[in-house]
Amino acid sequence: MNALVIMIPLSLALVAGAVWAFFWAVDNDQFEDLETPGLLPLDDTNSDEPGA
Amino acid sequence: MTAPGDGCWHCGEPLRGSPIHVRVADISRSVCCQGCGAAVEWIVQLGLGDYYRLRTVTAPRPRPHDAGLDAWRRPEIARHVVRDLPGGQSETMLLIEGVRCTGCVWLIERALLGVPGVIDAKVNAAARRARVVWRGGAATLPQLLEILSRAGYRARPLDSQALDDARRREARDALKRLLVAGFGAMQSMMFAAVLYLGAIEPLDESTRGLFRWLGFLIATPVVFYSAQPFFAGAARSLAARRLGMDVPVAIAIAAIYAASLVEALRGGGHVYFDSVSMFVFFLLAGRHLEMRARHRTGDLTDALARLAPPYALRRCPDGALERVGVHELAVGDRVHVNEGGLVPADGVLESSHCRVDQALLTGESAAVRRSRGERLIAGSVVEDGPAELRVDRIGKDTTLAGIAALVTRAQTERPRLARAGERAAARFVARVLALTAVTIAAWSLVDPSRAFTAALAVLVVSCPCAFALAVPSAITRALAVLARRGVLVVRPDAIETLAGATHVVFDKTGTLTEPVLAVAGIETGRGLTREAALELAATLARESRHPAARAIAVAASDRGMSAADNVRSETGRGIEGTLGDRHLRLGRADFALEGKAVSPRHDDAVVLADDSGELALFRLDERLRPGTRAAIDALRAQGLTVLIASGDSARRVEAVAAQLGVREWRAAQLPADKLAWLAALQAAGACVIAIGDGVNDAPVLAGADVAVALAGGAELTQATSDIVLTGERLEVLAPAREIARETLATLRQNHRWALVYNLAAMPLAALGLVHPWLAAAGMSASSIAVVLNSLRIGRRREHELTAEPGAAVTPRSARAT
Repeated sequence: MNALVIMIPLSLALVAGAVWAFFWAVDNDQFEDLETPGLLPLDDTNSDEPGA
Repeated sequence: MTAPGDGCWHCGEPLRGSPIHVRVADISRSVCCQGCGAAVEWIVQLGLGDYYRLRTVTAPRPRPHDAGLDAWRRPEIARHVVRDLPGGQSETMLLIEGVRCTGCVWLIERALLGVPGVIDAKVNAAARRARVVWRGGAATLPQLLEILSRAGYRARPLDSQALDDARRREARDALKRLLVAGFGAMQSMMFAAVLYLGAIEPLDESTRGLFRWLGFLIATPVVFYSAQPFFAGAARSLAARRLGMDVPVAIAIAAIYAASLVEALRGGGHVYFDSVSMFVFFLLAGRHLEMRARHRTGDLTDALARLAPPYALRRCPDGALERVGVHELAVGDRVHVNEGGLVPADGVLESSHCRVDQALLTGESAAVRRSRGERLIAGSVVEDGPAELRVDRIGKDTTLAGIAALVTRAQTERPRLARAGERAAARFVARVLALTAVTIAAWSLVDPSRAFTAALAVLVVSCPCAFALAVPSAITRALAVLARRGVLVVRPDAIETLAGATHVVFDKTGTLTEPVLAVAGIETGRGLTREAALELAATLARESRHPAARAIAVAASDRGMSAADNVRSETGRGIEGTLGDRHLRLGRADFALEGKAVSPRHDDAVVLADDSGELALFRLDERLRPGTRAAIDALRAQGLTVLIASGDSARRVEAVAAQLGVREWRAAQLPADKLAWLAALQAAGACVIAIGDGVNDAPVLAGADVAVALAGGAELTQATSDIVLTGERLEVLAPAREIARETLATLRQNHRWALVYNLAAMPLAALGLVHPWLAAAGMSASSIAVVLNSLRIGRRREHELTAEPGAAVTPRSARAT
């Protein structure tokens, strides 16, 4: 039973944390454009092998 | 693979005459024109030479005349497109034409970031937009546009409202609601699992109570925050005395939540907090998918609607033309609009006559003829011009301002299939509610103590989510698969029509053949030099957007510009005007030499003539687009009838038709003829796909069942089309149709599955045989099955046609199975 005392608040805190993190991400344009970043797996420093 | 072996290193056009050489990474490369040479040097000088390795498609050819950038220097114009951020920074949203591949995105971002003062530049390839942030004072808007235009991209700042429009807020809200529902569903399921396991290994009552209340704690924000759109929608439709999809859904959510709360308070029976969270999550997921598909296409239509011209050509009192911002126009000003140009403000026509296309405004596709004294509305396109008008309404008073409303409506209007799917789901939920009532009544007679539990089980086990997800998931997947192949579906309804099409009508010039013609030969008469002939012809040609006219204008681009007066053009035939005291006609022989003898020598040439006869004859060169033959073979293998309708001469159309093995073709077609042919086909029961690129294709495209435009074509054509081929590759058409058919088949499977599941599960639930955990699992499983089934679309053929737009040859296997 003692386990529950720790695990339940922990799980609730995790959910709250995850929701907060995602809200932050949404408000900071992380979901604005899901396609272009995927098109750009390109590294400035190693342009010998273009990822295209 | 980055550049075609023998074409221009930059744009891939064939080289003519003596090519110009530029050095890239110490290797000499040939380019076709000064414009491309300058672009290459510019790109290399910026240290962005890697672009040529990264790109998969050749670059857009830099356009010779890109005047008007300076208009943005004026603060009163820039004010409307630049937003000031705190800290002295400025932000703008650019609509960029010509974004073709990863290389473009890379190049544009790097080039913009290379401008001193630019802090951030992000390109969204799908929406063809770039958001740029810079330090005010350190860089200017014209500078940014200049950089892009030197690299060959035409950019236009969008209204600053584009930066934070309602659509973005809607998307963010929806995503947050979906996330809350998703996390809530997971977490409440975790707590519920304890209760479910309790059925196997008994828990003491206090622990059970604790977990019931934990479920309540998690489900409450899901119901009150995430599910809020359903309640709002239900309230709206009840206020309007309609029974929409939201009403039964809202009742079901409220009923499950309230009943579970009652159970928790009573301290007995089953609670369904996990099910209600999952229910909300799946329904929101369906809505979210659909919204994304809608916004994606909205980006395009929105951008087109905002293509209100940013500046206008104002006629000064001394007769000269002056470029001013549209916002500077005043009532009473005289403005000049070139052929193919947009009318900047509402006004009365002062030149003798012109034809305008008002499709953007009225949806009326056919161009209308306007004579002196009649009204032109802002945002309409002058199809043959130029036109002079006196402005009488500006800014918010123009009919164009109403466009915004039209576009918003187009975005909120949902695809036909989605609406049908939603209606099916609503009917279904209504039946479930009825069945729930019947269950309560029946159990009250048999065993009142079980009535409540059984009724709740019916509500929970029934899965409208599967119905609600069936359409959006399939359509979203299809749109994504198609977009990846360079097929942008602007109106999702087109998927349905595309699958059922029987005929394909191709335009020839610019569609089957390369859009850029080139002057291959000039024959002159009456002592005219070739240069002089070209200059005369270009004077008229600059007023038109016809490919042949453009070829002549480009060939003469470095020569002095004189302006013709009284220019009038006849779509598909030619253009005429006066230069000094000379009346010139340029166009097809029967137009230019009207009333005079036409010899076979004139057949496929562009003729320049004055009143006393022929002056010069221009031979233009055209090439088939790569992969055209394979594309047509694949379409024919699917059982489609392939036709060609062209405004060109019979000889040239026949040559192309023979090369492609097309038996049915019509030459020398005016837009009206093409439309009549289309109507005749449709009257005979055909479902027609029309493919074109030019201004003169717009009426034909509007008349077709499915209109396909090439991305390089006129904006107007794209605005009236259902599908835009962003990669400009015709060989994607046949696989696209396959995918459309697959999508419809998947839709049917999804519906059938949802029906079978519900028919099987609900009677069991009504009889009280379904345990809560089984109900929750069944509901989720049926939703997931639908989504997984939709994800199969396009899977089978993924490997057959690579997504790489640079591949010129389509495998022959791209045919019907």
